[in-house]
Amino acid sequence: MKIVILGKGGQGVIFFSRIIAQAAINRGLSVCSTEIKGMAKKGGTVEIQMKIGQGMCGLVKKGSADLVILLSDDLIDYAKSFGNNVFTFKNDEIQAALEKVSMRFINTFLLGVFVKRAKFFDSEDFIKILDEENRKSFLKGYEYVQS
Amino acid sequence: MQKLYLSGNEAIAYGLIEAGIKFISGYPGTPSSEIIPTAQKIIKEKGIKAFIDWAVNEKVAYEIAYAASLCGIKAAVTMKQVGLNVAMDPFINSAYVGTDSAMVVISVDDPGPHSSQTEQDSRFFAMGAKIPVFDPSTIQEAYEFAKKAVELSEKYSIPVMLRSSTRVSHGRADVKMEQLMPLDSIKVNFKTLKDWEKKLWRYAATPRQRLMLHNKLNRIISEIESLNELKFFFNGPLLLISSGAVFSYLYELIEEYELQDKVTLAKVDMPYPLKNFDFSNFQRVITIEESTPVIELQLCTEGRRNGIVPKEGELTIEVCEDILEKIGLIKREKNFFSPPLKRPSLCPGCGHRIALYEVKRVFGKKAIYNGDIGCYTLALNFNVTDTVLCMGASISFGFGMKKAFSLAEKQQDIVAIIGDSTFFHSGIPPLIDSIHYKVPFLIVILDNKSVAMTGNQKTLSDDKSSLGEITVPICIEDVVKGIGVKFVETVDPYDFENSIKILKEAKKYLKEKAEPAVIIFRHLCINTKEGLELNPKYRVKISHELCKGCKVCLIEFECPAIEFKEEENKAKINDPLCIGCGCCIHICPKKAIVLLE
Ligand code: SF4
Ligand code: SF4
Ligand code: SF4
Repeated sequence: MKIVILGKGGQGVIFFSRIIAQAAINRGLSVCSTEIKGMAKKGGTVEIQMKIGQGMCGLVKKGSADLVILLSDDLIDYAKSFGNNVFTFKNDEIQAALEKVSMRFINTFLLGVFVKRAKFFDSEDFIKILDEENRKSFLKGYEYVQS
Repeated sequence: MQKLYLSGNEAIAYGLIEAGIKFISGYPGTPSSEIIPTAQKIIKEKGIKAFIDWAVNEKVAYEIAYAASLCGIKAAVTMKQVGLNVAMDPFINSAYVGTDSAMVVISVDDPGPHSSQTEQDSRFFAMGAKIPVFDPSTIQEAYEFAKKAVELSEKYSIPVMLRSSTRVSHGRADVKMEQLMPLDSIKVNFKTLKDWEKKLWRYAATPRQRLMLHNKLNRIISEIESLNELKFFFNGPLLLISSGAVFSYLYELIEEYELQDKVTLAKVDMPYPLKNFDFSNFQRVITIEESTPVIELQLCTEGRRNGIVPKEGELTIEVCEDILEKIGLIKREKNFFSPPLKRPSLCPGCGHRIALYEVKRVFGKKAIYNGDIGCYTLALNFNVTDTVLCMGASISFGFGMKKAFSLAEKQQDIVAIIGDSTFFHSGIPPLIDSIHYKVPFLIVILDNKSVAMTGNQKTLSDDKSSLGEITVPICIEDVVKGIGVKFVETVDPYDFENSIKILKEAKKYLKEKAEPAVIIFRHLCINTKEGLELNPKYRVKISHELCKGCKVCLIEFECPAIEFKEEENKAKINDPLCIGCGCCIHICPKKAIVLLE
């Protein structure tokens, strides 16, 4: 599986990539990825390309990604150059994250939303590796999608 | 066996420590900077006694580590590829003299380049110095080759290079590791009274003895060469040879396009030294490597020299596809367009921005601004940087240009801009020349007490080492005054009035006294926890009525937190990005940017 995660510094790109990698490794799958952080710290583009269960290097060719997780809307054209299956969070989901959990747990809330809606991963894989507080927030996000 | 999800640089650190390295020095530089912090973390966790910390520059780092290896401690030095240029003198010499324990040189290349001045290939310099070089293709290999490099260096008593690249160093993968940490005590041995003469001729060799050392080195290299084998994959009549990250791309492409019976892929773990191989049973032999023809020259194959492989730029997977297409192996359906990404700029609230804005305000647009290597290179975006060459060159350029103009009897204001860390690295020698020859230009030292661009490493003004030991903080003012500069002023650039006043005084001093003047702008990097916490916090607003849409705040100041609404022809603060530093209130000619309350 080939995944690209795109966003700006501080938006959780690194968080998403690490947790997805950990979940895959726990399943016994190989993971390789490449991290491209722009020179600008704040607001700079952060890009992760990742291969799970295949390949020798983390690089994902343009047009070949199975999934692009896009955390910053203005990078949509760039995201599409990797593949057509682009996942973005809806405004109401981000709003819900801000309301339902404290700042520290927004990422895990959104992870829950992502896992449920993208149907790419099994929620159990993440529940296993999150600590209690994060798990709660993850499940809140996960359940939010149904409603 | 344990599996960890590591970056290439982290994997290298684990490999080095597991192989018994107890002394690491280096200078930060993207993409090499994470090796030392990771090694520090490991020795702290495992309770291993070692010296692992940053040095003032790569030459010093190299010599410090090399000296430790001569005393019998396994040592390593880390740097980015252009740092190797700075360390070139000890690097080449140490090959002749050899080591008494392991000495591993880690140099990380940046084809592209993504964050460097050049695309140079460290393997080529290793070949020039006659130093064997490993070139890992994967993160797993980065870990394994770090250990192999230590073993090889120890076995033959010569320095060995581990060359990595952005894609390997900043890639991540699950790495299988032994995690056997050597807890043996450190033993040193250098000057033995008995037989000292026999050893001495190496350490302080005369030119005649150097010839003998060169001969000895050649013999060692021949032996390593004779044992250096290639690894072959697939079995087609066309032979592609590769090493490093590019090998992994080619491997993947051969599988993807099912070229297994058209192509044989040879992997080179150690691109130098290579012996001759008999390739007569292949139809064609092409080397695809990054970024200089090192293997190609040694094995005399096709590749860069006959135009099959591009002579510049990173060999991405897409470029490797182009190459396979060019040699008629594949046909591609479509090419993908990728839109350019926004250019980087200094962080909102960065002290460098306001400092350099103030300099520009006093010295004007006609002054020549000689920049240097650091975040502040980005002042290019708002016209306060005209040249950037290499570490420390801002001050040498200031000297050279000022002298050139005065020889032609032309008045020209010149400002050199250099960060604290770069000043220590290589700004001091040209300042010595500038004061000695009385060359009147302004040297602006931007002191944010951090090596910010490469990830906020410690600097020489810290009172503790990275491992918490007490250090002596080095005071820039003392250094500058000690050299003999008489105009030395320090100011926080956030203090706008004072900064302008000092700049005007400096301008006057340059004219009247005709000697270099130094201004130190001191403000912590706000990309650090401490820097952000201590920073003033205001609420800033752009008045809709007063803003006339002249864009001065965007073009001449360029804070990413100031946006422009074309529809309204007004500038606006982007609140989530703004850190409330309040600096922009000095910029607007219409006084439209104001503090709230
Ligand atoms: S990291 Fe620090 S020095 Fe670099 S741009 Fe940001 S605030 Fe300025
Ligand atoms: S805020 Fe001031 S400087 Fe910026 S566009 Fe408006 S008038 Fe010009
Ligand atoms: S106060 Fe002004 S200069 Fe400072 S971060 Fe906000 S917009 Fe940028």
